[in-house]
Order: sequence, then structure tokens, then C-alpha cells
Amino acid sequence: MPELGHAALLVTLGLVLYALGAGAAAAHLGRRRLAHSARNALVAAFFSTLVAAAVLVTALVRHDFSLVYVAEHTSRELPTWYTISAFWGGQEGSLLLWLLVLTGFGALAVRLNRRWAGDLIVWVVPVFAAVATFFAFLLVAVANPFETQPAPSDGAGLNPSLQNPYMLAHPPLLYLGYVGLTVPFAFALAALLSGRTDERWLIATRRWTLLAWTALGVGQLLGAHWAYVEVGWGGYYAWDPVENAALMPWLAATAFLHSVMIQEKRGMLRIWNMVLVIGAFSLSLFGTFLTRSGVVNSIHSFTQSSIGPWFLGFIGVTVGVSLAVLFWRLPLLRSPTRLESPFSREAAFLYNNLLLLALCLTILWGVVYPLLSEAVRGESVVLGRSYYDFFLRIFGLPLLLLMGMGPLVAWRRASFRSLVTTFRWPTLVALVAGVVLILLGSGSSIPGLVTYTFASFVGATIVIEFARGTRARKALGATSWLGAFTSLIGRNRRRYGGYVVHAAIVLLAIGVAGSSAFQTVAPDTKLRPGQSMRVGGYTLRYRQLTQHQGANALEERAHLAVLRGGKPLGSLAAGKNAYAVEQQVSNEVGIRTDWLRLEDLFVIADQIDPNGTVYFRVFVKPLVNLIWIAGIVFVLGSVITLWPDAREQRRLVSRSYEVGIPAASS
Amino acid sequence: MTAAALVLAALLAAGCVVLVALPFLREPDPESDDLGELDEAERQRLELLEARDRALTALKELEFDHRTGTVSDEDYRQLVGPLRRDAATALQALERERGEAAADEDVRKGRPTRERTLSG
Amino acid sequence: MARSSNSPRIARRANPARLVIALSVAAALAIFLVYTSIAGGGNPSIQPSALPGHKGQVQLAGRVVGPVRGDAHAGGLRFALRDVGGTRATEVPVVYTGSVPDLFRAGRDIVLQGRLRKGTFVADPGTMITKCPSKYSPKRSGGSA
Repeated sequence: MPELGHAALLVTLGLVLYALGAGAAAAHLGRRRLAHSARNALVAAFFSTLVAAAVLVTALVRHDFSLVYVAEHTSRELPTWYTISAFWGGQEGSLLLWLLVLTGFGALAVRLNRRWAGDLIVWVVPVFAAVATFFAFLLVAVANPFETQPAPSDGAGLNPSLQNPYMLAHPPLLYLGYVGLTVPFAFALAALLSGRTDERWLIATRRWTLLAWTALGVGQLLGAHWAYVEVGWGGYYAWDPVENAALMPWLAATAFLHSVMIQEKRGMLRIWNMVLVIGAFSLSLFGTFLTRSGVVNSIHSFTQSSIGPWFLGFIGVTVGVSLAVLFWRLPLLRSPTRLESPFSREAAFLYNNLLLLALCLTILWGVVYPLLSEAVRGESVVLGRSYYDFFLRIFGLPLLLLMGMGPLVAWRRASFRSLVTTFRWPTLVALVAGVVLILLGSGSSIPGLVTYTFASFVGATIVIEFARGTRARKALGATSWLGAFTSLIGRNRRRYGGYVVHAAIVLLAIGVAGSSAFQTVAPDTKLRPGQSMRVGGYTLRYRQLTQHQGANALEERAHLAVLRGGKPLGSLAAGKNAYAVEQQVSNEVGIRTDWLRLEDLFVIADQIDPNGTVYFRVFVKPLVNLIWIAGIVFVLGSVITLWPDAREQRRLVSRSYEVGIPAASS
Repeated sequence: MTAAALVLAALLAAGCVVLVALPFLREPDPESDDLGELDEAERQRLELLEARDRALTALKELEFDHRTGTVSDEDYRQLVGPLRRDAATALQALERERGEAAADEDVRKGRPTRERTLSG
Repeated sequence: MARSSNSPRIARRANPARLVIALSVAAALAIFLVYTSIAGGGNPSIQPSALPGHKGQVQLAGRVVGPVRGDAHAGGLRFALRDVGGTRATEVPVVYTGSVPDLFRAGRDIVLQGRLRKGTFVADPGTMITKCPSKYSPKRSGGSA
């Protein structure tokens, strides 16, 4: 059925072109039926893209190797889940996923808001359609997923390291994030184009932005976890351009999420918010471009592909047009209020914006520097890990501290006395923690110590906020402490959900600091069966080497007995898998997690000699599991913040009623 | 397979065309094709409403912060004044706008202008 | 505080936001300049054909040419590296110690850090990274968290 798939994509292209043209005309001329028709075209585009996607999934599941795409990314013996995940494993399929999610989100966002923000929606439709046109064009003309060939007997198979549950979830989540950021972008641009720079675009897109931001964050954590356990080089983040490609839009989106609170409450930072949302979306496109075009030297590099120049061109057009529209509407964005004091909550949010932006730009510079230096000097210079680590500390540590200080600083102007009062307890906690940590030996790494101290400061502020709020609710007449706690969160979802997310970041910071600044490494230890080695308090005794024929690979494992302080703790196996079909060898690391101490004993069997001698590389990573726990807390906090709030809904409905516009339909 | 694909593709295209043409098919001769956007007065009212809600929310937040102890009694006394003033200004502006809108409505409909009560 | 909307004081009161932003940007740039001047820009990433005569630390990216001899953990792994898409004339002998990624073999594209010493490229231990042959999968060893 590949012709059906290709035809469906052609239909999509036609529909989004229509939505673009008709939508823009309808918005400009104020034609109701034409606007409705353009909206329907966007919805129809989703359905026809869905048909194309269904064709591809069917072809994958039926092992239809007459499709080049299916043959390149699957094989007969591949388990079904991984066969389906091959949908987004290659370039053409991932573009199709982008388009599917894009049209889906567009249709939904437009439908939900068509009544109470109708004058915005008329402009949202053409903006969405413009982005969709680009992807549809690529799929039809440049990167066709439905190319056919005489069918080979079996396909090339999926890279074994991708046959892993984390790799099932990681790309779709990232794509939900990237594409999700299109929604606030489209609404922002629509607000500018229509001249409707009131709050409605913010209110309409708040949950979309949160969802996209959460998906992007979780997607990155899953990718990091996959790199940690599956690729097994001893770390979870390498500052590789493709990793940075997802981090940059996430940082910009973080700044945007916080900055819009200031616009909602004080009407300030309007121009900032426009710039941030345009930046976040452009960085999403850039991230997709980096991952898929092979332009930057990266271990994720693909062959130089044909879509690179197209992507670059589209990003240029997007940035250019958005900034032009922003400049045109600048007079509308002047805020009625201004910053009164550098010591105020507004100022704290401004610093937050600046630090996040600085970190984001630093990473961007690091990513494009090899390209620039090659263009200018003819020689591409790569900035190493130390560059990123330095700037992560310089900008990240103040950000961490700010996370604790921001919620405690008063609006408009904070007096020195009030600052002293609110910061007294957290500062004490942090100082005590710092001293205790130094006594425990954390002084061996200054950045690590500073991170821990700042983290305790922020942790203390969060705990105090929850405690104070619960006590206040109990005083208001709640039945029990638990009741007071739940009703506190229930009535202030955004604030306390936000605090939970901040707690997740604190855990993340502690985990990252512990596992990098305070890790112990035994880089290169040669052991014969029977020999032992010592690292970070553990003793490892290499017992024997085994070989076992698994489902699709020959599994070679070195078995070690683990002891600490003479007490046996169990055993560990590390080694390699040799995959016959894919002709590849993969590293299988052995990890022993100590859940009490949250640390990992991480063993890599680097080289296995035929006589049984093995070269081991061993890491002891303290607190590394806090990173994964932080991911769970992060999701919890986001869910709390995202949860529908009946009271907020009522307020918006009554406001719409007072103006005379129909209320939101959901 | 190609014949089936062709038929399905044709069905898809036809369905999409119908969906796109639906607004015109349903209303071939409408009374008004105008988008019904907010006019100047409605936009002003929306802005005033947003200003009012912003001021009221700021007051509520201050109360909350004071009750939980984040803001001391002294600071509360200092801060609550300007916020109350902002809220009052916003409410007054809204009242005034409502009054003017009602008066305009009267003029348009040819009714005798009603008495305007002064607020506050 | 008394509010007077006609006082010239308002005209002279600078918007703190602008000052804050300007200072922050200046601070960030200063940090950046200090860093790059102290820690250096980074290592040039070059192909083997451009290596001869290049003194100092570089990042070498190329294709592995066999035969591959020796032991990376004892004495060093020896092979040659040529330009990706280049001819045998661009070959450079390489000696490497440290952990070897699983994907390493003749014909693969790899990246190494090190420097040229007496005609042989001596790689820094553990700095080998292999480019994945198929799309969308990273494989590396070397480097820490």
C-alpha cells in the first residue's frame, strides 16, 4: 500500500497549503466561513497524515520489505514493539511522526479555543499550517518514507543497543516536546499578527507549554538513563551536540514558563516572553535539524543528509519572519508597569531569564563553534567537556540558589529586613549542612560542595514553604494535618506543584554533583580469574568467564563477587554481546545499586582476552540514583501543576461572559 | 494492491474536500460572513477585566503570604495599601466603562439617558 | 510614600531593569572572555591528511585502516588512519592505549585525541570514539560522567 501512504501525504500537503492560504486570507479579510474552512483543513490534514502513518505501521508489522524504510530498519526476528518503534527510527519516519503530532496538536488546540479566543485562532491556523507545510513538503518531495524496491528476503535489523524499553519512549517523548512548543509559538505569533496582545494567548497555551516542557525533560532523562545502562561508558551525559539539541529548547522553555508568570501578575516582560517563545521553538527546529542532518560532528552523526539545507533555510525563515512581526508590533508590547527594585520577585525572575538564556547561548555557542571555526579558519575546533562543565557551574549554581530565593522575595520591593527574616532559617540550614559535609569529606570538590550547600538551602526553603502553608490551612479549620496538606496543594496547584518540581531539580543537582564530583574511578585494571581489586570501599573478586547463546546474541560475561568491608554483598556480571545478524558487539555493563546509599557500583568489561584475562573499568558513583528519582518527582510536580482547576475555570468563564464572548468549551 | 490503494486514496481526498467545503455547503447564503471579532469597546473591557483580576489576585496572594508567615505584619501593612488602591482603581475604571457602555446603548436605542450613580 | 506624577524626579529615575540587564550581559561576556583566554578555545578537529606538521594536541577524525595489531591494554593498539573518503596516500600510523569501543574495526570512522610524535600519532588513553555506522545510535568509551 505504499502508494496510499504517498497519496495521503500529498493530500496533507494540499490541505495545509490551503489552510495556510485560506487561513491567512480569512484572518486578514475577516471572513467567518473561510476561517472555519481553514480550520477544518487542519483537522483533515491530521486525518490524512494518520492514514499515512497507519500505512507505515502496517507495513512495518507485516515485514513488508518492499518498502526501503522497512527493510533498512527492521528484520524478521525483531520483537514487535521494536518493529513498531522503527517508525521513528529513521529520518523519513521521524519526520512523519513530527507531522502527525503537529497536525494533531494543531487541530486539538484550535478546536479547544475556537470560541473564546476566536480572533486569535484565525491567525493560529495559518501559522500552524505554515510549519506543517514545511514538513509535508519534505515528506513528499525530499524524504519519502514510502519508497519501494524489489523486496529482499530480510531486513537490516535494528541496532541492538536501540532494542531497549528506554529507546521506545525516548524519541516520542522528545517529539511531543519539540512539537508541543509549536503551540505557544503559534499563539504568540497569532497574538502579534492579530494585535491581540492581551493575556488570552498565555492562558490558552499554558498547559500546552507545561506538557511539552515536561515531555522534553522526561525524554532527556530517559535518554540519559539509556546512555548510562545500555551504552555503558560510565556516564549519562556527554555534552554531545545531539544531547544539547534537546537541552537548549528545554532551557528556553523553562525561562518562558517562569517569565509568563510575571506577565500574568504584573504585565511585565512581554517582549521577553515573545523572544523566549520564538527562541524555544526555533531551538526545537534546530534540535531536530542537528539530530537528523549530520552537519555537526557527533557520535550520533548520520550520513550527510539531504534535508539539512532545507531545515536550515526553514529555521532562518522562521526566525526572520517572527522577529520582523515582533518588531512591527513592538508598540503594543510596552508594559504599563516597570521594575521597581533589583531586590524583588520580578527582578528574581528577570535574573532567572538571564541565567537560563546565558546557559542556553553558551551551549549553542559550543555546538556551532566547530562549524563557525571551520568556515572562518578552515579548521574545525571542537570545544570539550571542560567548556560545558565550567559554564554549567558558573550559570547553573546561581540558578540553583535563585530557585530557593525567588519564592521568598516580596513583590515590587523587598526590604532588607524582610530578606533577613525570610532567609534566616534556610541559610542556617545550608551553613550547618556545609560544615557537616566538609567534615564528611565533601571538601574534596569545591563545586560539589557548593552544589550540596545550595541544594540544602533550596530544600530548606521548599520544606519551610510547605510547612508554613499547611499550618496556615490547619489554622483556618482543616480537620487534620494531612487534610490541611492536601487542601493546601489542591487550592494552590500552580504554586505547590511548582515547588515539587523545584524539589526534583534539587534532587537532580545533588545526584549530578555526587556522581560526577565525588565519584571514584578505577580506569584500567587487569584481572585473571581468581584475582581481586579494590575501589571506593568495595572489593571485587573476578570469579569466572561464561559464554551463553541468547535469543539473538552470544553473551559473554565476567562474573565478579562483590564485598564491602569483608561482608559479601552478592555478585555482578559484566561483558559483551555479539549479535550475529547485525554483526555488532555491544557492551553490557554490570551495575549494582545500593538503595540505602543510592550509589552505584558500575563495572565495564573493557577487553576480554581469549585466555580469560579481563580488563575492567570500575566506577563508584555516589547518589547517582537520585537523578532517576528526581525524574519521578518531576513528573509528579508537573501533574499537580497541570491538573484542571475548577475555580480557575469558573473565573475565566465569568470573565468571558462579562466581555460578551462565548466561554471556552473545555 | 494498487487498485485498492487508488480507491482508498480517492475516498480520502474526497472526504477531506467535503470537510473543507463544509462551512460553505452548510451556509450557502449567510446573513453575515463577518468574523465577529471583538470591537474596540469589548477589547477595552477585556483589558480592564484583566487588570481587575490581576489586582485582586495580587491582594489574595499577599493575604496568603501573610497568613503563612512569609510576609511579616509590618511588611503586610506597608504593602497592602498600594495593592488595595490598585484594586479600587481597577474596579472604578470597570464601573465607569460599564456606565459609559450602558449610556451608549441607551443613545443607540433612543432611550432617555438614565441617571448615572456615582460609585464609591 | 507620596506619589507625584508631575515631578521631574520620575524623568531622572532610571529603570533598574535596564541597568541590571546591561550589567549582567557585561558580566557574562567578561566571564566568557576570561575563560577562553585561560582555558583555551579547544582542540582543532582535523583529518589525517592535515596532520603532518601539526604540533600540539589535536582531535583526529578518520577511517581505520588495517591491519590492526597489538593490545590496547598492553603495549598499545597499532593501526593506521586515513581520511574519510580519501586515498591511502593520506594514511597516518596510530598507536592507542586505553579502552576500545565495541564498534571499532577496520573500515569504521573514529575520533581520537592526541598528538603527532615522530611521524606516529600517539593517542591520549581512552579517548577513542567510534562513529556509529547505522543511523541513530551512539557508541563510545572513554571520558567519565
